[in-house]
Amino acid sequence: MKKKVTPLDFIVVFLVIVITLVILLPLLNMLAVSFSKTGYIIQNKVSFFPKGFNLDAYEMVLKQGRILRSYLNSIQYAVIGTFINLLMTAVAAYPLSRKRLAGRSVVMKLIVFTMFFSGGLIPTYMLIQNLGLIDKMWALVLPNAIWTFELLILKSFYESLGHEVFESATIDGASEYRILFQIVIPLSKAALSSIGLFYFMGHWNSFFIPMIYLNTASKYPLQLVLREMLIDATVQNPGIVNQQMNSLTPEAMKNATILLTMLPVLFVYPYAQRYFVKGVMLGSVKG
Amino acid sequence: MNRHKQKLQTAGGNTFWKRAKRDRQLWIILLPCIAFYALFRYGPMYGLIVAFKEYDIWDGLIKSDWVGFKHFIEFFHSQDFVLLFRNTLLLGLSNLVFSFPFPILFALLLNEVRIKKLKTLAQTVSYLPSFLSVVIVCSMFIDLLSPTHGLVNTILENLGFPRTYFIIKPEWFRFIYVSSGIWQSMGYSAIIYLAALSGIDKTLYEAGEIDGCGRLRAIWHITIPGILPTVITMFIISSGHIMRIGYEKVLLLYTPVTYKVADVFSTFVYRKGLENWDFSYATAVGLFESVIAIIFLFITNNISKKFTQNSIW
Repeated sequence: MKKKVTPLDFIVVFLVIVITLVILLPLLNMLAVSFSKTGYIIQNKVSFFPKGFNLDAYEMVLKQGRILRSYLNSIQYAVIGTFINLLMTAVAAYPLSRKRLAGRSVVMKLIVFTMFFSGGLIPTYMLIQNLGLIDKMWALVLPNAIWTFELLILKSFYESLGHEVFESATIDGASEYRILFQIVIPLSKAALSSIGLFYFMGHWNSFFIPMIYLNTASKYPLQLVLREMLIDATVQNPGIVNQQMNSLTPEAMKNATILLTMLPVLFVYPYAQRYFVKGVMLGSVKG
Repeated sequence: MNRHKQKLQTAGGNTFWKRAKRDRQLWIILLPCIAFYALFRYGPMYGLIVAFKEYDIWDGLIKSDWVGFKHFIEFFHSQDFVLLFRNTLLLGLSNLVFSFPFPILFALLLNEVRIKKLKTLAQTVSYLPSFLSVVIVCSMFIDLLSPTHGLVNTILENLGFPRTYFIIKPEWFRFIYVSSGIWQSMGYSAIIYLAALSGIDKTLYEAGEIDGCGRLRAIWHITIPGILPTVITMFIISSGHIMRIGYEKVLLLYTPVTYKVADVFSTFVYRKGLENWDFSYATAVGLFESVIAIIFLFITNNISKKFTQNSIW
């Protein structure tokens, strides 16, 4: 397809550049504001480059115990949550991928059914309440320990490993536990990484679940603190509102907080991106 | 397959219990999974009975009195019903109609980019927003649209337009909801189409070239038919989900002033249930929504089965 450059090429390149800018500019604006002097921000003079470069906003944010604590909370919830997710999913997918297991299709049907129908918000809340998990970290972790979609992805991945491996290991007298932990899981590192990425992002970015289950402010994850800082200030949202510093939050500080929240995401992004695409691909096989 | 079957028979009878005994290790491994689904997925389904009771905190779920369809009837007669139905449907429809084409067009566009570096860069940038949380995306949009310091209003003012407080204007709500969704998920949704595009047989293009077919005609006659099955499948899945509006984004973007266009079933359930603590009524509304959503999925799936032989199950 090596041909001469046509007008079509110009149009295509132009449009792609425009789209890329539309995606990038709001983020650049945020970055610029977070590094700018308050005076310029108030006069609306900052667009895509910082004016009066300084780090005051970041300093102020990091001095706020609330944000730092919620940052640590988020890391804790995401790490523990992802670990439980991966363990549960990796283990559950194995028997479901074994064709020899009688009753497998019934169990699968019951699992897939939950993708289409669920008890919904209130019954789930009542269950968590009855289990005594309100205001506990486990309320964020256990009720979503397995995402059905990721389970199906991993199950079809295991199936693609080929059953000769399992059968021969069984004949050699290896127990199913050994096959799972010493053969299947090590063979699935790539798939588990991409699923783990989705789980981690799910925990890191979730705000609704912590919002309804956590009451104590010191247990809030970052997204919940962000929401109070960023949104309740502008939009008078009804709900569990905690208006401490909202209207006082200067623009630069808001944006600095957002960027700090995005930091781990941006940090793993180049690496994550590969797995991300792979994850979507794995999903589309089944989806 | 045959070898497999033979082994099953030699391994011992065909009855379920014999096989279950043989596979007891597998069942033990499956146990945590079964426990999880039983407790956290089927448990709440049992909890749905609260919709047919008058929930009393002191009596608990089991002892509360049965009231049959009282809450449903009350809901159907209330003004909320029509409003919520209309809002949910319209928001879902506008989301489907306006955000569905973008990832396809973006993928087609990227497919025509012949500068490899630009293609990779654009793709990398386009995934970035899907890694951001709804809280960040919504607050970014609220900030950009802010009447006092938002970039959009600054630009509008420089162009001679008046400053507008978009976020409290009902007529702007759907636009903000849909466009922020496009901004966030276009790159992510394009992945699947890009995969379909890379699966198109390259020899078709070469053959087209020999026959004197230009690039635009190649797009029309080769590229588009090549990804059409994927497009149709994705369309069925998306239209099946019309009634399932995520409450997270609506909750973050709406204000009491915009309720009349923005309030959907799920946000109403949240407010009734977890702010007014009316568990029974809220569950009834939620159950109604689930049933409607599943009916919708069935209808779209049957239509597609009839016309395209495509089905999601």
